[in-house]
Amino acid sequence: MSGTLAVYQKEMATYFRSPIAYYVVAVFLLGSGYFFLYNIFLSGETAMAGTFQNMGVLLMTLAPVISMRLLAAEYNAGTAELLLTLPLTPWQIVVGKFLGAVTILLLITAGSMVDLIPLYLFGTPETTTILSGYLGFVLLGLASLAVGQLFSTLTHNQIVAALLSAAVLLAFWWVGHLQSFQASPGVRAFVAYLSFSRHFTDFIQGLVRTESVVFYLVVSGIALTLSVAYLQWRR
Amino acid sequence: MSASPTIRLDSVSKRYGSRTIIHDLSFTVGRGEIVGFLGPNGAGKTTTMRMIAGFTAATSGRITVAGHDMATDNVSAARLVGYLPERPPLYDVLDVSAYLRFVARVKGVRRAAIHGEIERVAAACRLEAVLDDEIFKLSKGYRQRLGLAQALLGSPEVLLLDEPTAGLDPGQIQETREVIRAFGADHAVLLSTHILAEATLICQRVAIINHGRLLAIDSPAGLQRAMEETNRVALRVTGAAPALRDTLLAVDGVRAVDVRADAAEPGVLTVNCQVDARDGVEAAIARAVAGRFDLHRLERSQPTLENVFLRYVQESPASGEAA
Repeated sequence: MSGTLAVYQKEMATYFRSPIAYYVVAVFLLGSGYFFLYNIFLSGETAMAGTFQNMGVLLMTLAPVISMRLLAAEYNAGTAELLLTLPLTPWQIVVGKFLGAVTILLLITAGSMVDLIPLYLFGTPETTTILSGYLGFVLLGLASLAVGQLFSTLTHNQIVAALLSAAVLLAFWWVGHLQSFQASPGVRAFVAYLSFSRHFTDFIQGLVRTESVVFYLVVSGIALTLSVAYLQWRR
Repeated sequence: MSASPTIRLDSVSKRYGSRTIIHDLSFTVGRGEIVGFLGPNGAGKTTTMRMIAGFTAATSGRITVAGHDMATDNVSAARLVGYLPERPPLYDVLDVSAYLRFVARVKGVRRAAIHGEIERVAAACRLEAVLDDEIFKLSKGYRQRLGLAQALLGSPEVLLLDEPTAGLDPGQIQETREVIRAFGADHAVLLSTHILAEATLICQRVAIINHGRLLAIDSPAGLQRAMEETNRVALRVTGAAPALRDTLLAVDGVRAVDVRADAAEPGVLTVNCQVDARDGVEAAIARAVAGRFDLHRLERSQPTLENVFLRYVQESPASGEAA
């Protein structure tokens, strides 16, 4: 546990002594703030549904920026040789780094809650729907960062890691559209199940389904396990 | 050296695909011993160090560090190892003390003892002046010493140093060698280098590796002999062989003379003199020969790593552990 904590604290120090964290927080807050104002003035409703949807797409493009350096930067700087020869298990390394990235996710999530102030001041939004939307956003973020970390584990190049992660995450986001082209009900259901956006839409609508919670956690678990397996295999 | 070696390699090989990088390597390093790992660039030193440190696994054979098998128990072994890779593994955006604190924590140094431990290694590696500096601002010498400092944290039983004096100025090299010598008094140190003098100055034994094969394990005295034997002066001379041999053997500093007739040019002799390591011997030879013989060429060959290797290759094409 202390090894994981040491890796986590090192990650946090690294994030905030480089421009990445500031860039991600700034872009996300500006983007989500813009979409919030746009949706409120366009619909005239005191709801977050439209904003959450836009935050989801924004996250698909920013999660790779958060995760791209996790392992790729270590390989590139030669520090992987230190990290992988210190008394740390691959799980401690992967989880410590993942928690660092998740902290950035939680920071941008908390930052976006500024939008709620005018919402509650001038309207009567449904609190449970908003809470469910934020829960979905965090779960979506966990899965996205875990997938991003996997690609960062697989390559020495941060840009390649970010591009591959973004491509895969956007594919997961839009894969639900393939349903229309499938005749088989089984394949349709499977494609729908894989869709990041379909599960997220449920949360936005106030629907916290066990299936969706499990889906995001399983995707995160599989991606982290594959990262650990790769670190073990590369020895 | 203790009865049970701290580092033991038994028939270790490393393959990448069909290419074998390390061939059947076996040697040991005991507690209180500094073993030099000597070889030219590309000999397999770094790969071997990485296998011992647990960064990469051996394809076959067995590596144990303080009794822990690196194939199955590398995390336990890592607690007992300080490792300085060829390229110092530094986080540029951190400051020096934050970096050392991170390594100390992961190595299991008690929270209350971390400050004192950082002060100890900083003093040993002369880093006190830069403890608050960001690492990207450090000079190459400081970066190298910071890499050594992180390896020393927690007083590990085993120290693996891959080219520890690379990039240091002569004064820093001397200080670093003192640190290693002091540490090696009661720990096991494996130090890779391609500098002959470094291996002979601070190591009790020297493992010589080339093309992934262990050529020999020798004492520094043996290595010194090999170096001296590669101190040669080559001549091409026209004259009588017996008189030439006598003339050369009479020169102060000439140890042995080998005179052969040049097959390509009748009447010309090719001479190889084994000489002392000091300067000026070739000038004395030139003076002695030039008056009595027709001297065509005179060339001094210094003891380069390649020459020493050739000597070991000729003597022992593929020996195992000798000590």
